[in-house]
Amino acid sequence: MKRRSIVALSLVVVLAAALTAATSGATKKASANNITVWLQVDAQSGWPDVVAAANKQFQADHPGASVNVQYQNWGDHLQKFDATLAGGGGADVIEMGNTEMTKYMAAGAFAALDKSAFDNSANWLKGLAASGKFGGKTYGVPYYAGSRVVTYRSDLFKKAGIKKLPATTAEYAADAKRLAAANSKKGFSPVYIAGTDWYVGMSFVFDYGGGIATQVSGKWKGLLNTPQSIAGLTAYKNFFNATSHASKTTDETHPNPYDVYAQGGAASMVGPSWFTCCVGAKFKGTTAQFVMPGHVKGQSIPGFLGGSDLAVPANSPNKALATEWIKDFTSTASEKALQAKGNIPNATNLLGTSVNERAAARSWFVPTAKHWVDVENGNILRNMLAQILSGKLSIKQAAASASDNIASVLNQS
Amino acid sequence: MLESSSNAAAGTLLGTSRRRRLWGRTARGAVPFALILPVIAVIAVILGYPLYWLVKLSTERYGLFELIRHQGTSVGLDNYRSVLHDPVFWRTLLRTIVFTAANVCMTMVLGMLIALLLVRVSAVVRILLSSGLVLVWAMPVVVAVQVWYWMTNFENGVVNYVLTELHLGDFFQHDWYVTTFSQLSLVTLLIVWGALPFVVITLYAGLAQVPRDLVEAAEVDGARPWMVFRDITLPILRPILLILTSLSIIWDFGVFTQPYLLIGQSKITTGNYLMSIYLFEEGYFKSDFGRGAAISILMLLMVAVLSIFYVRKMVRMGEATA
Repeated sequence: MKRRSIVALSLVVVLAAALTAATSGATKKASANNITVWLQVDAQSGWPDVVAAANKQFQADHPGASVNVQYQNWGDHLQKFDATLAGGGGADVIEMGNTEMTKYMAAGAFAALDKSAFDNSANWLKGLAASGKFGGKTYGVPYYAGSRVVTYRSDLFKKAGIKKLPATTAEYAADAKRLAAANSKKGFSPVYIAGTDWYVGMSFVFDYGGGIATQVSGKWKGLLNTPQSIAGLTAYKNFFNATSHASKTTDETHPNPYDVYAQGGAASMVGPSWFTCCVGAKFKGTTAQFVMPGHVKGQSIPGFLGGSDLAVPANSPNKALATEWIKDFTSTASEKALQAKGNIPNATNLLGTSVNERAAARSWFVPTAKHWVDVENGNILRNMLAQILSGKLSIKQAAASASDNIASVLNQS
Repeated sequence: MLESSSNAAAGTLLGTSRRRRLWGRTARGAVPFALILPVIAVIAVILGYPLYWLVKLSTERYGLFELIRHQGTSVGLDNYRSVLHDPVFWRTLLRTIVFTAANVCMTMVLGMLIALLLVRVSAVVRILLSSGLVLVWAMPVVVAVQVWYWMTNFENGVVNYVLTELHLGDFFQHDWYVTTFSQLSLVTLLIVWGALPFVVITLYAGLAQVPRDLVEAAEVDGARPWMVFRDITLPILRPILLILTSLSIIWDFGVFTQPYLLIGQSKITTGNYLMSIYLFEEGYFKSDFGRGAAISILMLLMVAVLSIFYVRKMVRMGEATA
C-alpha cells in the first residue's frame, strides 16, 4: 500500500504539472510582428478588397509583419472583447460601433492615440470624431459612416408604372400598392423592412418630432411616450403593414434584407447604402438607390447616422504596429475606396454627393449615454416594435413601457 | 477486488516486527484516504479553485473598469441583495421552473413510451429506431439548433410548407416566434427531442431487467397490460426513473444554448428570460461580473439542493449492491 500512496502522489504531481503546462501554454503571446484585427462582417461582405489593400500596404511598409483579420458579429463582439480584456490574447485593433465607444473609453479599455498621425484627422466627421474622444484624448479613429437609404429595382418600379420617385412617405406607400398589384408572387414585399429594425422605426419617430431619451438636469427621461413619438410609431406601423411582408418579430440580419431582395422577394429595401454589394448578379444592372422621403414633402426621413471607429485595446502588446495598420486602413486612398463602395468617408474634405451622403444631411443619433449600449443589447426598442406590430400591446402601452425601461437603464450609476 | 488485493498487501507487511505491525495498521486505515486523494486533488483544482473565485467575485463590485485593472472592490452581500430584490429574477425563476417541469415531464413520458415500443417491435425496426436515436444523440447542439431554426423559418421554412400542403390551414409565412409561449414551446420541443435518446436507451436497458416469468405469471392471473406496467414494470424501473428524472431536472434547469440560439439574441428580452439567460445578460451583456457571479452562486445552490436527492439515491444504490 505504500506503493499505492506513491502512485497516487505521483499521479497528483503529474496532473498538477499537466495543468500548469496547459495554462502557461494558453497565456503565451503571439509573436511580436503579428497583429490581430477585429473587423465587423460588413467589411467581409462589403469591401474585402479594401481590407486586402490595406494589409498589402501595411506589409510593404513593415516587412516581416503579418496581419490576422478576424471578422466579428455586432451581436456578440463586445462579450468576446470583455473576455480578452480579462484574459488577454485578443485583438490589437478593434472596430467599435460609435454607439459602443463611451462605455469602454470610460473604463479605460483603449490606448490613447496621437490624432495627428492619421490622414485627414483635422477634417474628421464631427459626430464620428466625438464618439472616439473621451476626457480630451482620442481613443477611436473614425473608420466610416453610413446613413440609411432605399435600394430599389428600377425595372419593377417601371413595370408598376411609377414614373417619379416618391416625394413623401405617403406617396411611397401608394407606390407600394402598385408594386404589389404588379407582382403576384406570394410574400412579395414592395418595401422590405424587418419588423424590429429599430433604425427604420426610430426614423419615423424622429420624422414626427419625437425622440428616444433626453437629459433633463442630469437625469435621463424617456421620450417614446410623447405624442410626437406615438405619431411616429403609428406611422411606422401603418407603413410597415402597407409595404412589408417581413416577419414582425425578426431583426434586419435574420434574414439579411439583401438576400430577400436577391431572391426576387422585394422591390425595394431600407438599409445601409452598401446593400448594393449583395443584390445578386441578376439584379445588379437594375438596382438603384434614393433617399427615403419623410412625411413632409421636400424633406427626407431622418436616417440613423451609424459609423465605426477603430481602437487599440489597452492590453495590446503591439500598440505601435496596430496604430500603423489603422493609418493604412484609414488613409485617403483607403477611405476613397470605402466611399466607392457606398460608404461615407471619415473626413469632410473627402465628402461627395452620393445618395448616402445626401441622406446624411438629415439624420438622428442615439442618446450619448454611458449605458446606451445596455439599451441596445437589452433589445428594448426591438421588443417594443415587435409588440406594436404584432398587436400584443397598443402603441401607447408599448411605448410607455419602453420609455420607462430606457430611462431606468440610462440612469444607472 | 480492490479490497482483497489491499488485504493481501497488508498481510505481507504484518507479522514481522511489532513496530511494523503498528505502522501497518495505521497505513491500512489510511488506504481509503490515499485512494481518494487524487480525485480530491483534481476536484480541488478544477472545481474548488474557480468556485473560490466565483464566491469572491460575487461579493465584489466588478464591472468593466475593475475588469481592466484586474481588481474589484468588496461590497459584501450587495450583489445578492440586488438580485433578490429584482422582480425580473423572481419572474424568471418561476418561468424556469414551469419550463423545466414541462421539459422533464415530456422527456420522461415520451421516453418511457418509446422504450416500451422498442421492446415490442421487430429486430429490424428496433435497430432502425435505435440508430435514429443514436444519430440524434450524436448531433452537436449548435447544429441541431440551426436545423430547427431553418425548419421553422418565417420566409421559407419546411414546417410551414408541410403544414400548408397537408391542408391544415394557411401557414405561409407563419411566424413561430411571436409569443413567449411559442418561443419557449419550440425550445422545449428541441430539448425533448435531444434528450430522448439517452432516456430511451437507458430505460430500454432497464426494461431488459424485468423478469419475463413475472410478467407471464401476472398475465396468467388475468392482469391487464396497464396493471402489469403499473405493478411490475414500474416498481422495477423506479430507481432508474428517479435518477433520470433528477438528472433531467438538473440539465433542463440550467439550459442555455438551445433557448439562446433558437430564440436569437435580438429577440431575448426580460419577458422570455430563463435563469441561465438572465445570468448571461446581467453578467456579460451589462459587464456586471460581480452581480453575474452572485446569480450563478444562487443557481448553483438551487441545483445543489436538487442534486441532494440524486446523490442520496446513488449512495443508497451503492450500499445495496455492496
